[in-house]
Amino acid sequence: MNAKTLTSRRNLFLLGGVLLAALIPLALGKNQYAMVLVTTVLLYAVLATAWNIIGGMAGQLDLAAAAYLGLGAFTTGTLLMRWNITPWLGMIVGGITAAGLAFLIGFPLFGFKIKELWYALSSSALVEVMRVLFLMWDQVGGPTEQYLPAGLSAWYSLRFNNYVPYYYIMLVILIAVLILTTRIRYSKLGYSLLALGEDEDAVEVLGVNSQAAKLKALMIYAFISGVVGGVYACLYGYLHPSFFSTSMSMEVAILGIVGGMGITYGPALAAIVMVSFREFLRANLGGGMEGLYLVVYAVILIVVALYQPRGIAPLLERGIKYIKTYFGELRHGRPADAESR
Amino acid sequence: MIETATQGVISGVMMGAIYALIALGLSIVFGVMNVTNFAHGEFVMLSMYLSYVVGTALAWDAVVTPVITVPLLFFFGIITYHLLLHRTLRQMYVVQLAVTVGLQILMRSAALIVWNAQPRALQYSFIQGNFEIGGFTILTSRLVAAVVSLLFIGGIAYFLNKTWAGKAMRAASDDFDAASLMGVNYKRTYALTFGIGSALTAVAGGLLMSFQQTDPVGGIRFGLLSWCVLALAGLGSIPGLVVAGIIVGVAEALTVSFFDPRSRLLAVYAIFILVLWLRPRGLFGRR
Repeated sequence: MNAKTLTSRRNLFLLGGVLLAALIPLALGKNQYAMVLVTTVLLYAVLATAWNIIGGMAGQLDLAAAAYLGLGAFTTGTLLMRWNITPWLGMIVGGITAAGLAFLIGFPLFGFKIKELWYALSSSALVEVMRVLFLMWDQVGGPTEQYLPAGLSAWYSLRFNNYVPYYYIMLVILIAVLILTTRIRYSKLGYSLLALGEDEDAVEVLGVNSQAAKLKALMIYAFISGVVGGVYACLYGYLHPSFFSTSMSMEVAILGIVGGMGITYGPALAAIVMVSFREFLRANLGGGMEGLYLVVYAVILIVVALYQPRGIAPLLERGIKYIKTYFGELRHGRPADAESR
Repeated sequence: MIETATQGVISGVMMGAIYALIALGLSIVFGVMNVTNFAHGEFVMLSMYLSYVVGTALAWDAVVTPVITVPLLFFFGIITYHLLLHRTLRQMYVVQLAVTVGLQILMRSAALIVWNAQPRALQYSFIQGNFEIGGFTILTSRLVAAVVSLLFIGGIAYFLNKTWAGKAMRAASDDFDAASLMGVNYKRTYALTFGIGSALTAVAGGLLMSFQQTDPVGGIRFGLLSWCVLALAGLGSIPGLVVAGIIVGVAEALTVSFFDPRSRLLAVYAIFILVLWLRPRGLFGRR
């Protein structure tokens, strides 16, 4: 990579975005409510970006994000409560546990060639199964809420009295996951996944082991969701089987679809737009009408899905292109002519 | 031991008939239109709430409420088809999923606004009570519900096999293009199919309200349950659907009596996963 590509316009944009995101807490730092909101936005952005690997690239409609997130949260929280193991380590263990669950689920599912609707349904059922199992598993709390202890120090047990550190942790994870998905997208795995999302049989003929590729994608996604789950547990400070939420899982998948399947930054963009909007509605319409913000949110989802089925990222790109050509015509003649001269 | 098991099987069979009725609506929509309706459970939830509204407003018994809720749900289904589903027919499969999941969130949160979060139930139905046969207790409400469900399932089977509209629906499900050439107006046929599918949930909703309460998030259970029955039965066989419903109902009842009431869903999902792995076509499926 030479200096020219490093300082290309695209990278400058990205750097600017990261700097802007890093400065947000300085503006909102005192307002704890706003900090929770922006952290939640980032959390969904990470989950939706990770979902893109299995959902967008490999074309497997996974609806089990919360199963992996919840497992990561319970692993991290239980390690901290029982053996006083720091969540910094715990979230990695949580991620590995979640990836292990993904292997147990994915190996037979992909082996038996279960796809499309039936894959979506069985992953949706997985969330419910996990919820019921953890409700019955009394050793890790059962149906009661388990509060995480403050422990030795805030940094050791990841229990801060404000939300700014969580925001930065989430931001770092988001950047790491974005870089990771970009790397995967242009790797052998990424091309195999994109191809098998289009036509699985053709890819098999070309000598790609589609089962292994899908399994890898599922495990990477589960690992990221598990790590995020560890932070999630510390952020909210308790553990409860309601973490295994079907609606959260569906929302993650929808953000991935609305963002534009297979476009690296699409889901994160969708999460930033849609989740901010959802929270804005919740704050402004909340009042006596509990649930009204969700109605508006659902209508927007339906409209986007019906009229912009390829997602909002292509829409953005088209907008930028339009603006470029619009102002490109400031000079007479076609922009291409002007540039070649 | 054997008494408990038999008791479980008896109540499971009766619940299974209602599950088959709920799954029948999903089955004809999926089979004819190839639309994956993730909001099916929410249709059941909506039906139960409408039964509650009609039952309290007119002081009717839950079992009678379908007289009003069936037409309501039928029109709701037709409107939903024209507004949403019709546009998704030629779209990618994920668009369908996004739209029906959006519908699911919409219905669930609308129910939350209108009826708040607390569960609602009707007064004791006149079919409440129980009687004994050979030492086994039979709840009258379940028995009546099961019989009514089977009657409706039989009625739908008759409709699909003997009437022109039913034949058109089956033709559209077998070969869409050929059916169009034979003069089947697919738009109307699909609208009718979806209307019937959602009207059937209204029948089930009335029956369920006679012995059970409803809450805004209860829909997902019925949704996954009917997909499980459908996976077990496969497409295209109505007797198969009844058998599958009964298998699911019995499995649920036996888990409750022998294992742990909280784990009733686990048995259902275990069957679901096993069927997907071992026999993706379903036990009685044509394709």
